[in-house]
Amino acid sequence: MHRRTVIKNLALVIGGAVLLPACHRTEGKAFVALKNVDISADQEKLVSDIAETIIPKTATPGAKDLNLHLFVFKMLDDCYKKEDQQAFVTGMGQFADVVKNKYDKPFSDLSQKQREEMLLSIENDKDEKSTINSKELKSFYGIIKSQTVNGYVTSKYFMTKQVVYELVPGRYNARFPYKQKQSA
Amino acid sequence: MANLNIDSVKDRTFDAIVIGSGMSGGWAAKELTDKGLKTLILERGRDVKHIKDYPTTNMYPWEFEHRGELPVAIKEANPIVNRCYAFGEDAAHFFVKDNDHPYVQEKPFDWIRGYQVGGKSLLWARQTQRWSEFDFEGPARDGFAVDWPIRYKDIAPWYSYVEKFAGISGNMDGLAELPDGEFLPAFPLNAVETYFSNHVKSKYSNRHVISARCAHLSKPNQIHLDQGRVQCQERILCQRGCPFGGYFSANASTIPWALKSGHATLRPFSVVQEIIYDEKKGKASGVRIIDTNTKEAIEYYADIIFVNAAALNTNLVLLNSTSHRFPNGLGNDSGVLGKYVAFHNYSAHIGAEYDGEKEWTTDGRNPAGGGYIPRFRNVYKQETNFLRGYASGFSAYRYQQRPWDGVGAGLKDNLVKDNLSGWKVGSHMMGETIPKETNYVALDKTLKDQWGIPQLKISVDYDDNDEKMKKDYVEQLTEMFTSAGFTNIKASTDNRAPGLDIHEMGGARMGNDPKTSVLNKWNQMHAVKNVFVTDGACMTSTSCQNPSLTYMAFTARAADYAVSEMKKGNI
Repeated sequence: MHRRTVIKNLALVIGGAVLLPACHRTEGKAFVALKNVDISADQEKLVSDIAETIIPKTATPGAKDLNLHLFVFKMLDDCYKKEDQQAFVTGMGQFADVVKNKYDKPFSDLSQKQREEMLLSIENDKDEKSTINSKELKSFYGIIKSQTVNGYVTSKYFMTKQVVYELVPGRYNARFPYKQKQSA
Repeated sequence: MANLNIDSVKDRTFDAIVIGSGMSGGWAAKELTDKGLKTLILERGRDVKHIKDYPTTNMYPWEFEHRGELPVAIKEANPIVNRCYAFGEDAAHFFVKDNDHPYVQEKPFDWIRGYQVGGKSLLWARQTQRWSEFDFEGPARDGFAVDWPIRYKDIAPWYSYVEKFAGISGNMDGLAELPDGEFLPAFPLNAVETYFSNHVKSKYSNRHVISARCAHLSKPNQIHLDQGRVQCQERILCQRGCPFGGYFSANASTIPWALKSGHATLRPFSVVQEIIYDEKKGKASGVRIIDTNTKEAIEYYADIIFVNAAALNTNLVLLNSTSHRFPNGLGNDSGVLGKYVAFHNYSAHIGAEYDGEKEWTTDGRNPAGGGYIPRFRNVYKQETNFLRGYASGFSAYRYQQRPWDGVGAGLKDNLVKDNLSGWKVGSHMMGETIPKETNYVALDKTLKDQWGIPQLKISVDYDDNDEKMKKDYVEQLTEMFTSAGFTNIKASTDNRAPGLDIHEMGGARMGNDPKTSVLNKWNQMHAVKNVFVTDGACMTSTSCQNPSLTYMAFTARAADYAVSEMKKGNI
């Protein structure tokens, strides 16, 4: 990806604010600059692939188009406690191992169906004492899932094109007719 | 040199000094300058100019680095202010951070403060109700605190006076326990709020659910346009500062009005150390401040001093103003200064669902927040095992459900489906607490702040009366909700510390008797006739209505009295 495009997209995600990536990219070093969490380029790519699996590009933009993984990292770095950050990093390593054992190839080489299957196997495991998925693995996935979706539904794209956020409504209709659309 | 000194003293001499620039200080400044007094407004924090200094006011949600959430480092560094609902990424800059201005909690007390021009008037929830005759008669009738030196009729014209200028939305509801005022059109109740209002009216003779009264310009009058304010745009981003002046704040209204008069001098970065008492003249001669940038101590002089530093800081300033005549704090002959602090009890909530009215929703946003249930307990007579009563908020809402389950294209589809929830309803209690001598503030004997001023020690707690009242709120609201056919009713109480209601009051209470109170019926110190206290510190009791409107009315009334007394040569 061209540096300018990245910066432009980043500005789109963050809204022109504050977060500046480490532009001097070196081999194995993550593109995103974090204060509290150390992320390698491979890990950055993994998170980006997972985010894209959660919010894939369809007829509309997906996680990569919106740089949602950068938002996930931003939130992880600033808005989570140290123990959550540690669980994230531990879980991230476990995730790669589980994928390797299960499919004998890395996550990036899986089909969309396999990727979804992999993520859903963690998401649908609601048993807190589960031995299949560790606590850290669930924390790791939980943070990516919630912040990818959070980043998506609060992105400029979503809030202007998918729903319309009004900064200045200029009205309050207390009694407004509503008829729920029939689901397709 | 001598001449220079004389000039300097002249430069530092005013007709009036107002300590504080927030909800009540802004009114003092406006009233005194309207009457032509050369007035110095002292503010301990920085200046916040209307519109110009509202950095987040026009930001979209996606423009916030963390989409509104504060970084964990900020939350952990500020455990006290972090408990305040409005302490978010969009308004954190208007709140005092815990470490910058420490205080001593002899008992847990969440002291929420805004040190800047405009003070907490930039952060308030803007609910504005008059107090009623029942509130001013309360202590005398129920036998607590001391008798208020005034009655409703004394303050009613001043409520009207400030309401017209500030702009208050509401309906004429005709309730003795919640007197009507000079209202702009109310923000209407929605379908379920209306349903509940009708139901309550049919079932209970003395309970009412009305449109919340709030300080928003629903339809501005000329006087509001003259202030440079325009109609409320229903943004509900008020805590960021409103570029329209759609709600009342000192920044949008009273302070610029005072400055426009040409008689006001605004001095931010000025922490008041003490009020100077002149023993020969038998009155206060001025104020000593510490400039927070230079740490320099400077004295200012005036004929009249209005103390509007916010309730607890007003107590601090008065307690720290000692002299031979007043060794225990200015005007403290009674010994009650700092005592009988009370507040409001917000520690119970209730939520439920309603299955009806599904053909209706709302469109836009309601700045008033919904409905208000005026106090209905012990109004005309004592009927419970606790003193006084509580008001309640009430609101109903539907929201767009966005199920987050699953991943992939299906998840994306679910996130945009029109999937409106059924109606949810909610309420929270706003209870009156009883002023007690044991609830007090004092100066810590050793700890000082960064300007060398003693730290305030706060010792304030709930009591049995509050527990009984809380229990009654849960029972009564549960009964009303059940009766209305609401389902899945969940009432909860919490163990929050006092303070989080941000309605601390008292310490320099009004009263008829100088032996048991600090201020007379004009908010004038019994013992120091040229000092007036018109913020929350003056409150004899707390009612369960929001207090800000009453501070405004007291301030306008006291300023009028002060100037007339000055002209008569009595001050």
